[in-house]
Amino acid sequence: MRSAVLIGMRVLTAVATAVTGYVHADLYLNNGYRVIHVVGPGFLLLSSGAFAVAALLLIGGSPVLRLGAAAVAAGALGGFVMSRTVGVFGFTETGLQPAPQALISLISELGALALLLSWHVILLRSRPASAFTWHRWLLAPARRS
Amino acid sequence: MMSNKRRWTRRGWPAALGAAAVGGTLLLAACSSGGASASASITPGGGQHLAGFGGTSATPTVLPTAMPSGTSMSGMPSSAAAPTAAPVAADAVAIHNFAFGPQVVSVKVGTTVHWTNQDSEAHTVTSDTGAFNSPTLQPGAGYSFTFTKPGTYSYHCTIHPFMTAKVVVS
Amino acid sequence: MTGEDSEHGMTRRQLMRHTAWFGAAVALTVTGSEVISHVAGDGSPAAAAAVAAGPGALRFVQISDSHLGFTGPANLDVTATFGAAINQVNALGYEPDFVMHSGDITHLTLASEFGQAKEMMADIATPRVFTVPGEHDTINDGGKLYRKFFGAGTLGNGWFSFDIKGVHIISLVNTTSVDALGVLGADQLDFVRRDVAGLSAETPIVVFSHIPLYAMYPKWGWGTSDAVTLLGILRRFGSVTALNGHVHQVFAKTEGNVTFYSAAPTCYPLPQPGQAPAPLPVTVPAGELSSALGIRTVSFQAGSTNLALTDERLT
Repeated sequence: MRSAVLIGMRVLTAVATAVTGYVHADLYLNNGYRVIHVVGPGFLLLSSGAFAVAALLLIGGSPVLRLGAAAVAAGALGGFVMSRTVGVFGFTETGLQPAPQALISLISELGALALLLSWHVILLRSRPASAFTWHRWLLAPARRS
Repeated sequence: MMSNKRRWTRRGWPAALGAAAVGGTLLLAACSSGGASASASITPGGGQHLAGFGGTSATPTVLPTAMPSGTSMSGMPSSAAAPTAAPVAADAVAIHNFAFGPQVVSVKVGTTVHWTNQDSEAHTVTSDTGAFNSPTLQPGAGYSFTFTKPGTYSYHCTIHPFMTAKVVVS
Repeated sequence: MTGEDSEHGMTRRQLMRHTAWFGAAVALTVTGSEVISHVAGDGSPAAAAAVAAGPGALRFVQISDSHLGFTGPANLDVTATFGAAINQVNALGYEPDFVMHSGDITHLTLASEFGQAKEMMADIATPRVFTVPGEHDTINDGGKLYRKFFGAGTLGNGWFSFDIKGVHIISLVNTTSVDALGVLGADQLDFVRRDVAGLSAETPIVVFSHIPLYAMYPKWGWGTSDAVTLLGILRRFGSVTALNGHVHQVFAKTEGNVTFYSAAPTCYPLPQPGQAPAPLPVTVPAGELSSALGIRTVSFQAGSTNLALTDERLT
């Protein structure tokens, strides 16, 4: 049962991360984000990183990958908020533009973070009790699933 | 054993709450209406009518008293397309790019001023003193107010309070 | 169990595992970005430019110097080359937000030439077409016939301004006064002063005129006598782009906050400054004419003053 849950977490997180990657790739390729100063290359990096992490998550649930997925989601969210407030190297946008990509991306990023969090909690709960070290708490080393 | 599990759980939940709070705030912040994707509305300069003529995808662009529809109309006549604006061009204010243009409008008592939202976001036209207040104007919507008493009426957009302008009635 | 935890931190085996996953992620990311970049790079330059405009970007086209009515060895069919330029605009792969013809629409200020030009330009796939008169459009009548065809909505001799997507566009006439150089005139300068008075210094400004607003080659009349005043009025703006025609060749120059770009014609080229005794039509070898003619696409990124300007030869 537990393995199924963990596999499910992996797959769902992979899907959410892939969606984030796909939306950013679409904006990069087809909606002109490519030419925006700094933001363009940033989208490329985020998108390829997202696909990489998503693909690997289908194979295994290493803490490195979970951290990577969290970084993708948090990075995308941070960029989103910055672009609507202080700007990112001079680039600003408003509201939920471009629609519908902005909303889809928001949902997949928040979803990925929520999934990662619950995954983390599940892993922590499932471990036998042992003395606390930051390594153990942060990385909650995955069981093979 | 159990106490250890409880301890981890207690530490886990604040993080979940935090994420939820962040997520909720983000969604709220992003909730200013998405609006229509910006159609390229051409706003003539102050006191001018639109120059030039239509190409094959001429759309009904800015007329001082008209509402831009933002949809393409094909087959616009190619002959000189003088816009049929009412001769009250100075009483029109366009809301565009998060600003009121012109920022100061001078009219005589009894004149009706027309505001048109040509931006891709909703705005309002709200007097600082409460003399007039438009409903929320979606992109393309308009609002009119007739000034019956002289004075200077400063106004702003309640959604974006940094947008300010005034009407001087004499 | 996933291997022994040590008392403080991770084991060598765990470190190797973490590193392996990290390395795999990095390798895949690099590969992925190569793939995505490759997809981005496919397609013709025009198509790439088409999708290259960011969200909310302003994209417009400048065409210039069609000289309808000209006949001569330099171009035996100016109507055909003008038509080819219009087809090229329609084949850009996107619809420009407007098209500006920067002057010398006709060669002889004839009603038939104006009429034909307007008919042809009304077929451009764009919401709006604007024009500026050249000296060939205002021969001996101060622009009256030009204004009959193209003057709707303009002020004075035919100047006007408008805003689009956060960019302020000013269209000026410096060809109606008979003079060695172009002249803007006090009325027009006052108009510009009033027109830009309320604009913030971050507003990108684009100025169209027929004759260059800088001293490109005064000996041939390639300059405007009172442009200095105009540039003074625009000094406070961070981004001013001046686009002109008249000289029948592509040329660019930056002076302070203003960058000037002269456009290619759609009829025939003129010699470069000083390379000939007079600015007369240059006859180029057969087959080479279209490489001297062209259209210009300009795009402004929303939210910034970066602009991309591409001069395309006639195909």
